[in-house]
Amino acid sequence: MANVPGAVPPNSAQIFDQGYRRYDGPRTGFRGSMRTMVTHSLRHALGLGRSARFKIIPAAVVIFAYLPAAAFIGMAALLPEDLAAEGLLPTYAGYYSYIVGAIYLFAGFVAPLLLCTDRRTGLLGVYLASPLNRPSYLLGKALATLILLLLVTLGPPLLMLIAFTLESTGPDGFVEWIEVFAKIVLSSLVMGAMFAVVAMAVSAATDRWVVATAAVILIMPGSAIVTDVLVNEADLNSALRLFNIPNLPRELIFRIHGEATGGASLWRPQENSTWTLWAAWFGYIATGVGFIWARYRKLLVRR
Amino acid sequence: MATATTVPSTADKIVPVTDSLVSATNVVKRYGTFTALSDVSFEIRHGITGLLGANGAGKTTMLGMIIGLHEVDSGSLRVLGSDPWNAGVAVRERLGYSPEHHTLPGDLQANDFVRHIAELHGLPKAEAATRASDALWLCGLGEERFRPMGTMSTGQRQRVKLAQAIAHDPEMVLLDEPTDGLDPLQRDSMLDLIRHIATEFGIDVILSSHLLDEVERVCDAAVIIGEGRTVAAGTLDELRGTGTIGVVVELDADPTQISSVVERLRSSGAQVNVDGRRLVVEGDDDSVFDLARDACAATGVGIARLSRKRLSLEDVFIESLG
Repeated sequence: MANVPGAVPPNSAQIFDQGYRRYDGPRTGFRGSMRTMVTHSLRHALGLGRSARFKIIPAAVVIFAYLPAAAFIGMAALLPEDLAAEGLLPTYAGYYSYIVGAIYLFAGFVAPLLLCTDRRTGLLGVYLASPLNRPSYLLGKALATLILLLLVTLGPPLLMLIAFTLESTGPDGFVEWIEVFAKIVLSSLVMGAMFAVVAMAVSAATDRWVVATAAVILIMPGSAIVTDVLVNEADLNSALRLFNIPNLPRELIFRIHGEATGGASLWRPQENSTWTLWAAWFGYIATGVGFIWARYRKLLVRR
Repeated sequence: MATATTVPSTADKIVPVTDSLVSATNVVKRYGTFTALSDVSFEIRHGITGLLGANGAGKTTMLGMIIGLHEVDSGSLRVLGSDPWNAGVAVRERLGYSPEHHTLPGDLQANDFVRHIAELHGLPKAEAATRASDALWLCGLGEERFRPMGTMSTGQRQRVKLAQAIAHDPEMVLLDEPTDGLDPLQRDSMLDLIRHIATEFGIDVILSSHLLDEVERVCDAAVIIGEGRTVAAGTLDELRGTGTIGVVVELDADPTQISSVVERLRSSGAQVNVDGRRLVVEGDDDSVFDLARDACAATGVGIARLSRKRLSLEDVFIESLG
C-alpha cells in the first residue's frame, strides 16, 4: 500500500501501558493507616481472602456463639408466653453461661494470631516502618481484637433483643428497650475488653501463637477452677474470686443487668461489692495494658 | 565527618543534587551493655548508596535508626530533614523499607500484601490496588502476583519485598540485604532492577549489604561501617581514589619462565605477588610498567595482558578495617 503524505500510517496504533509511575495524588494519612491495619487484621483473623482452612475456626466459634441464641429465639416464638416467662429462656446476662467457652476460645485464637504472627514473620518491622508507631500499632490491634470479640459478645444478645422485640416478648416500651440495649452493649464491652486484654497480654509474652493460644485457653478455666477450690472448698477469703478471670466479667454483667439478687448471679453479692468488681476489672485492664506496652516498648525490632 | 557526594561515572547515573538525605553525626547506639554503634558519621545524598559492613557490623541497627525504630543514644541523626525518632510518622510515610528476612506471611497473596502496605503508607484503596499490581509487574512478578507468598521462591519473595517498598512511591527506599539467598543470575537481575528503579523513577536507594562487588556494581556512593564505627564514606570514585596501586601482568609462559620473570623483578627491588600466570607488581608510577616490560623482554616471555591495578572496594574495605 502506498503511503499518502499526511495520512495516518495503517500500523501506527500503539498500546500505552503506563505501568509503575510516580504518584502525586492525595494520601489518607495516619487515619487511613490505622483503618487499613484494623481492616486487614479483621479480615486476616476471620480468614477472609485466605484459603478455606483458615475460615474453619472463626466460623465454628461464631456458630457456637449464635446457635443458642437462635434456639432461644425459636423457643420464644413457639412456646406460649407464660412458659417462656417461667425461666425457660435465659436472661441477657445469663446467656453468657452458654457461650463463655466459645468467647474465650475465640480470644485465644484471635489475639495470638494478630500479635504473635506479626512478630514471628517480621511483619512488625514492616508495620513500624510505615506511618504507624508502636502505640498506634497496638491500638489498632486492640481495636481489631475487641471488634472481633464483640462479634460474639455483643452479637448474640443483641440478636435476641431484636428477635424478642419482634416477637413481642422483649422490653416494654421504648425507654426500657433503650435501657436493655445500653446494658447489653456495656456488658459485651466489659467481657470483650477483659478477654481481649488478657489474651493480648499473653500473646505479648511469646512469639509462638500456638503457645499463646494454649495459654489463653488454659488460663481462663484454670483460674476459675483454682479460685473456686480455694474459696468454696478451702474456705479462703472470697476476695480470691476476683482472680477468676472468666467469671469476673460475667458477675459484673449480672450486676449491670440488675440480676445479682435472687440467686441468678455467680457469686453472692455480699462477698464482693459491685465497686470491688469494677475496681478489679479496671485493675485487669490497666495491668494488661501496662504489661503489653512494657513488652512492646522495649521490643527490639531488628529485622 | 566523611561525606558521600554522588558523582555519576556513567551516562545513566543519577544527576547529583546537594541535598542531604541522611545525615549522621557521631551516632551512638547501645543495647544494655552492648554497644552496637560507637561513632557513626556520614552524609548520604541522592542516588544509590551502599551501607557496607561485615555481618554484625551494625548495618541493620543503622537502618532501624534511619526508619525511626530505634532511638539514637547520643549524636545526631537527620533523615529527609527530620529527626526520625521524634518525627517518625512524617519521615516514614516518605520511606519504603524492605526487611532482610524472608518469612513473610505465607498464606497471603503477594498482591494483597503489597496493596496492604501501600494503603498503610496512605494510598487510597483503589490507587493502592492499581499500584500494587504495577509494582509487582515492574519487579517481574506480574503473572505470579496472586500466588500465596508461602509458595514463592526466595528470589520471588525478595521481589515482593522490593515491590511493597516502592508501591506507595517513596522518596527513598531502604533495602536490607536485597540479594540475600539469590543465585548469581537472580542477583544480577535484582541489582539491575534496583538500578532501574533509581535511574528511571528517581527513587533514592540505601542498600545494605556485606557483598562488596554488588555495592561496587550498582551504587554511586558507599558508607563502610566496621566495629560500630564509620570507617570510610564517599562516592565510589572518592573511596577508590584515582591513583593506581600497581601493574597487573598476565604472562603467556610456563611456570619456569614465570619464576625467572619474578626473580628478575624481585632482584630489581620490586614487590611482586604471584597468582598463577598473573603477577601484580606493586607501585604507583609508570616506571613499574617499564620494569615489568623489561623483565619479560629479558627472559623472552610473552605478555598476554598488561594493565594498571586500581583499588577495588574490597581493597578499601580491607584497608579501612586494618
